[in-house]
Amino acid sequence: MKLVGRVPVQPLSEERMTHIERGVVAGAAEAAARGRARAPRHSLGFAVAAMAGIVVGVLGWRLLASAPVASPVVAEAAPIHVHTDAQRSTLDIGDATIQSDPLTAFVVTRPDGGVLVDLARGKVELQVGKRGSRPPLVVRAGDTDVIVVGTHFTVDYGDGTGEVDVRVTEGVVKVVRHHETLRVAAGSAFRTPRGVIALADAGPALSATIASAHHTDGGGAVASGTDTGAGGTVALADPQTAGSGSITTPLGDGPDVLHDRTSHVPDPHVPPQQHPGAGSGTARTQGGARSGAKLHGLEKPGDPAADLKSRIRAQPVEPASDIGEPDPQRARSKYLDIAAHTTGDEASRAFYSMAVIQATKLGRTGDALDTLDRYLRRFPGGKEYTAALWLRVRILCLRELDDRCRQAAYTYLHQAPKGDAKAMDLAGDITHSD
Amino acid sequence: MTAAAYVEDVLLVDRCLTGEPAATRELFRRHKQRVHACLYRVLGSNRDMDDLLQEAFLQVFQSLRGWRAEASLATWIDRVSVRVAYRYLSQRGRRVEAVALIDDEAGPATEAGPGARRQLARDGIKRLYAALDELSAASRLAFTLHEIDGRSLAETAELVGSSVTATKLRVWRARKRIETAAAKDPVLREFLQPGGELIAFDKEAP
Repeated sequence: MKLVGRVPVQPLSEERMTHIERGVVAGAAEAAARGRARAPRHSLGFAVAAMAGIVVGVLGWRLLASAPVASPVVAEAAPIHVHTDAQRSTLDIGDATIQSDPLTAFVVTRPDGGVLVDLARGKVELQVGKRGSRPPLVVRAGDTDVIVVGTHFTVDYGDGTGEVDVRVTEGVVKVVRHHETLRVAAGSAFRTPRGVIALADAGPALSATIASAHHTDGGGAVASGTDTGAGGTVALADPQTAGSGSITTPLGDGPDVLHDRTSHVPDPHVPPQQHPGAGSGTARTQGGARSGAKLHGLEKPGDPAADLKSRIRAQPVEPASDIGEPDPQRARSKYLDIAAHTTGDEASRAFYSMAVIQATKLGRTGDALDTLDRYLRRFPGGKEYTAALWLRVRILCLRELDDRCRQAAYTYLHQAPKGDAKAMDLAGDITHSD
Repeated sequence: MTAAAYVEDVLLVDRCLTGEPAATRELFRRHKQRVHACLYRVLGSNRDMDDLLQEAFLQVFQSLRGWRAEASLATWIDRVSVRVAYRYLSQRGRRVEAVALIDDEAGPATEAGPGARRQLARDGIKRLYAALDELSAASRLAFTLHEIDGRSLAETAELVGSSVTATKLRVWRARKRIETAAAKDPVLREFLQPGGELIAFDKEAP
């Protein structure tokens, strides 16, 4: 039975084809207008979400996917009410992705072109693209506002009545509370009404930032201090001592901030110890944070996971070629253009650099992973192959030290035997982490 | 597939994901003929083709983020299109098209000459698809993709999401059904003879 070529295809008229094209372009534009093209439908995920009885959205969309693969939901201009039950959920509002833990409730609105995420309880993790001149994205947890220009961070509001914990992975956020403002940079954290802060490996700019923070709990003793260098620093401010010592920017009632530039991170549940080597402002301790303070799903300070993440973050990641474009969005476009019109090493550099920009400057780690996957398939012998493998490890492990992260580290160890020594050590540690 | 074509696909997809209409149009234009041809050979007519093509491409754009560049973009689009065709065939049920297609129940043309042979071939195609309407959606897809669209068994299996063995079995069963139908239908029998007439359509049928 030879039928190949025996059934000719009747072409469609130009008019019909144009009509189809219009419909397709309109449909695709509609999908893009909602934010991003939707992820492939996982019917099982939807079924699980339905069975879990998760309600997402009064006027917006409702969806909750089974963890760990949470299907993005696309937000509309109307307020979006999200209540997660026993599962994590992911809400894609186009200019940000909001992941929420179980038992989290929040509402997303868009006042005056900005975005307001009003957190009633629980914990959210946000990945926010650069907002440029647009009004900022604000996460409100009780009396605390976290203002974002473009970054990656988490806000934990516990049961909605107690403390607010903000942890910044990339970029900088402004925390406003009781009319006082504090900047929290990547690698550090913030907690009200008093508490921790500080993860390791923040740079000098951060320590300057941190030094401007201070304590809010009037009854609590605190420490004030300045950065003394690599030997370990604690920078705390006390409103009662504001104006004296080394406090650079007294802010009145505000949160405690503690910054330790060594890899040692104090446990908030344990009364802080005197920090040897701190300069004029060596820490004066007090009874410590409130007992019972909790850090939902976050690595506790002093936890090896936090230390590991700090070490991963400290490992430099740079574009493979410098195109002299400071604006990350334009830089990405330029790299895209180069990758489109070149081949070989140049294309490899541009491809990889695009992933770096997406991950580190634009905060679009999902896109960066897609780009990296394509890079790794396209350029198996590329000069940036090892670096691309490491970037993949970095993205995944800064998200979560989970199996996927460990798998990426394992792949790095085995496919990049000539990788950077520090990165190799780190990958080894990651694969052996719990 | 060349490396340049691959990179081109990747970049085009990136542009589509940003919602750039020009990129959407470009992707559609690059692949529309192939997708149309594939769907046509599966279905045997342009009836409902507008809806099917549109549905196929909308599915493509909605799940474009899921393209992991493991297969070529063309193969991935074909897979999406085949799924759309499968759904269409499953929902449509059998024997609906047969009535519409077979508008001439007369026997084979008796006159010789190119015109008569061409007509015979057209009749043969109608009867072939009438016989295919008797098959399950999965068998029909396997048979048409392999025997009419000329894809290998492995490629067909990949497109329909089955194993090669299962696909081979479906093709074999479909072939048996067609042969059984041909035994009773001289027009179809003649059409299935090797070296049959090749018809060229150069304009859209009304």
